[in-house]
Amino acid sequence: MSNDQSSQPDTLNSAERATIDASVAAPVILFFGTAIFWLLFGSFFELISAIKLVWPCFLDGCGLFTYGRTSVVSLNALAYGWATPAAIGIGLWLTARLCRVQLARYKSLMAAGIIWNIGTFVGVAGILIGDNTSISHLNFPGYSTHILLLSFILIAIWAIVTFNQRQSGPLYVSQWFLVAGFFSFPWLFATASQLLIWKPLQASAQPAIAAWFAGGFFNLWLAPMGLAAAFYLIPKTIGRSINSQHLSLLAFWSILLFGAWSGTSRLIGGPLPAWMVSVGVAASVMMIIPALAVALNLHFTLDGHYAPMSWSPALRFTVTGVTMLVFTWVFTAINSLPAVSSVTNFSDITRGLNLLGYYGFFSMTAFGAIYYILPRLTGKEWPSSCLISWHFWLATTAVLLGVSVLLLGGLIQGFALQDIGVTFRSSIEFAYPFRLLAAVAALLIVGANLAFAAVFAGLHWSLRRPGTAPALIAVREENSQEPVAV
Amino acid sequence: MNKLTLLFTGIFLTFGSAWVGLVAYPVANLGHLQPLPNEETGGVNPPTVSGLAVAGQKVYAANGCMECHTQQVRPDPLTTDIAKQLGKRQTVPRDEIREHTPFLGEYRIGQDLSNFGARQTDVAAIHRHLYSPKSVSPWSNMPSYSYLYEYRKVVSQPSANALQGLTGPRAPKPGYEVVPTQQAEALVAYLLSLNQNYPLPESPEPTAK
Repeated sequence: MSNDQSSQPDTLNSAERATIDASVAAPVILFFGTAIFWLLFGSFFELISAIKLVWPCFLDGCGLFTYGRTSVVSLNALAYGWATPAAIGIGLWLTARLCRVQLARYKSLMAAGIIWNIGTFVGVAGILIGDNTSISHLNFPGYSTHILLLSFILIAIWAIVTFNQRQSGPLYVSQWFLVAGFFSFPWLFATASQLLIWKPLQASAQPAIAAWFAGGFFNLWLAPMGLAAAFYLIPKTIGRSINSQHLSLLAFWSILLFGAWSGTSRLIGGPLPAWMVSVGVAASVMMIIPALAVALNLHFTLDGHYAPMSWSPALRFTVTGVTMLVFTWVFTAINSLPAVSSVTNFSDITRGLNLLGYYGFFSMTAFGAIYYILPRLTGKEWPSSCLISWHFWLATTAVLLGVSVLLLGGLIQGFALQDIGVTFRSSIEFAYPFRLLAAVAALLIVGANLAFAAVFAGLHWSLRRPGTAPALIAVREENSQEPVAV
Repeated sequence: MNKLTLLFTGIFLTFGSAWVGLVAYPVANLGHLQPLPNEETGGVNPPTVSGLAVAGQKVYAANGCMECHTQQVRPDPLTTDIAKQLGKRQTVPRDEIREHTPFLGEYRIGQDLSNFGARQTDVAAIHRHLYSPKSVSPWSNMPSYSYLYEYRKVVSQPSANALQGLTGPRAPKPGYEVVPTQQAEALVAYLLSLNQNYPLPESPEPTAK
């Protein structure tokens, strides 16, 4: 194990930690609270879409709830209402802790949080009334993306100032990921908004840029922010330091380099120069490197110390989330090989991989981080370990069920679409039973999110007398040496 | 890696490399394509489309048609798109220049529409399909776009553009009629304009084996 100081998350004492936590509490709770609202909203629309896919008569003939709008609303509400604010909230808290800086001007962050939610609301309303831009992952109309960018500029200014004020010392691995995420997101978002929405280029130039944005949104924004949380929480919770600085370095730079180029692999055979697709395929396959580096590094860190997963909600969610990230990258690498993607492109496999990456990885990791962070900000413990347990099992079952049926059904659908002897009608009929099960998975996700919202509400408004001891989801082993997170 | 400037420079360079390749390159090289002259008709390839069809692009985007329908024919022998008669040749960047946004799509929950206008030219049939998909194909999982149509009472004379031959539960009761709104007319004009059956030198039709 490396004894390098930079493999330690931080060296603060508990009083210093509490002061820093208290200084960021208000904006972080604002971001998390609103994110949970949009999480419920988005997963509810996802359920409506999944039902409509198997039963088109459901809410039929109503413009507001046509499939083309509900599915877009769910994706964008989850991406900009839930995932991005959750990532920002995690980022704010981690930045303050790791830079060892008390937050001075939190009013600008409160303003950013409010502006961000106004932007999301305007964007969702815009899609529902028919101003969808039809650019995947960026469907919000132009008038709402201005608002979102303004909010993020306030956050980025704060992050730059905080990093400049940081107390000297080596940069911890989570800080690399935070800098990468806070740097990439505004660049991705501003470029794509400017070139595709505000002053759109000729359409012939747009597909490559849209694919670059969609790939970057996951690999350069959500993945770094989720990993920043994982690389902080896992060592903290089990009381060990990260196994290998070299593997962390390898993972970090390979995510940045290959992640940035990986987006175009999804456009195989599409109307853009062939070299762009080839680069995208190569980069997607190379994502195996960070997948292995992250998996090995965290496994060697956790080796012999997996036991706290049975009682610590933060660790259980985070480790599950990172495991799903590894699978997301491995499956995406396989799925981007031309021999595979010529069959699977345009099938439900894309939906399955989105579910695995966005919900399986990012949402699970964010849940873990929120379970860790909020008690430290509010000074209260989670009210119900039973609900947390329900949340975990519903979410995990939903992801495993949804991903396996969408991958399997997508494979069958893909072969049906490819086979000259099979009619288009058959491809719909073959996919039907799998889509039915995917709708069940969407229902389970709504249930999981409701359980999460309930524990959050219970913590915040103290509906029940808050627990005074940490909410453990299993009994701690008596002779355990592992500390419960501090 | 303990210096912020070093970290920042590294991120800037890796991120910037992809930005140059996947953003700046298309802007410079694909952002100013021109239609090619068509010697037979004296027009251009791809042909210019009507103002109504351009308005229809907005309706197509607003209703999220792209969530289920692709608009790209992929090449032989990578895929069977051409053998399945989705189009006669591969879709290339120049085919997109009439669009505001390229509706390439990610899913084929419904059929590919790149050459819809070449397969279907009957305006009344397209309206019937949009208004009540199940009355045209009972197995279809396409939702109804009846909200793009006006269901109203016939006053003295039936309207000339009222939908004819509607069957099933959405068929109008006696004394009533279903009339397309401007949005529906624009959408149909756009769908009819989807036709890539013109030659482009960069996308030759594959020769018969």
